[in-house]
Amino acid sequence: MGKQDRDVRMSLQTLRTLESFLENPTDELSGADVQKRSGLASGTLYPILLRLESAGWFVSRWEAVDPASVGRPRRRLYRLTPSGLARASEVFASFGRGVLT
Amino acid sequence: MSSEWVDGLARSVIQHAARSAPASLSERLEEEWLADFEERSGPLARLRFGVGCCWATRVIAHEYLEPKVAAAGSTTGSKVMTAYAQQDFSFLSRRTTAFVLMIGLHAVIIYAFATGLTHKVFVDMAPPIITKVLDMPKVIDRPPELSQQPTFTQLKMTVDPTWPKIDEDHSRLQDLTAEVVEIPPPQVPTVPTKTVNRMLGGPGKAFPNTDDYYPPAEIRMGRKGVATVQVCTDDKGRLTAAPTLAQTSGSAGLDEGALKLAKAGSGHYRATTEDGRPVSSCYPFRIKFDFKN
Repeated sequence: MGKQDRDVRMSLQTLRTLESFLENPTDELSGADVQKRSGLASGTLYPILLRLESAGWFVSRWEAVDPASVGRPRRRLYRLTPSGLARASEVFASFGRGVLT
Repeated sequence: MSSEWVDGLARSVIQHAARSAPASLSERLEEEWLADFEERSGPLARLRFGVGCCWATRVIAHEYLEPKVAAAGSTTGSKVMTAYAQQDFSFLSRRTTAFVLMIGLHAVIIYAFATGLTHKVFVDMAPPIITKVLDMPKVIDRPPELSQQPTFTQLKMTVDPTWPKIDEDHSRLQDLTAEVVEIPPPQVPTVPTKTVNRMLGGPGKAFPNTDDYYPPAEIRMGRKGVATVQVCTDDKGRLTAAPTLAQTSGSAGLDEGALKLAKAGSGHYRATTEDGRPVSSCYPFRIKFDFKN
């Protein structure tokens, strides 16, 4: 586990965010993608993404496109870190996935 | 509301929200949110997204501790919050908590008005009414104090000798003499006494049967008694007036049955006779209600 790894107290919204990534842990998702999967409002989602990123669960990078050529701003892509994946798996193993269904 | 106008408004809201965020995150959030904004379809969804970004800014600004954050830029322009840690994660978000509190407060107010709880609270909170009977100060109506004691002087009555004298004529008193005249007692004419052989009447031979007028309710209750009825009959044994109750049996039902019986017996009474001659008269007779066995 890395230096930035912190314990994060789980809320229902945080669990929904993690669940969106656990469908395919190697996926890189933008905030809009997570919002579609989790159904969370933007006011709730982005603070959670920042928290998990600062706690070392996520890493993020800018989308490798030229905004001028695609005609839109670059998206911020989030991905689970190996330690984040392990911690998220532990959390869901302890809670049981049924809590989110 | 045109979609272009809403898009412009939502975009402005997002930019304003991002610029209100901590300086190290402001540029990143603006670009990230505007990119995600483009993927929203529909003016209402875009407006909601913009409003949500405003809320996100408030939450981030509250949680973000500027000295602990080091936003590191890479060649790709990525920034990572390295030292930020959220220590106080609650199960419900702040917005949800505020919303739940607001709904709860409304529910409590509606419940209080619907059940009359407010009235009870006001009644309980109102100070109790304390009644005291205050005695009025007694006011004694005394005459005013005299500054100086009065002095009484004894008056002497003197007769003026010049006043005229009244001539009293005592000679007429001798003429007034009382005379007592005895009045003889009135003479009462003597009436020759005559003995009349009078036989009071009563129920005759064809008088109705008492059992027929025994009230069923009284039979069920097991009541029995004797009522005395006063009747007035003519020389034919017929009632000349409605019978009246001379003495009660102790039961209103039995009394009523006795009066009905006395009334039904009209024409079947044995008339009172004087020297064997039937005459009109009034007399009482008793009616007994009793069980035979």
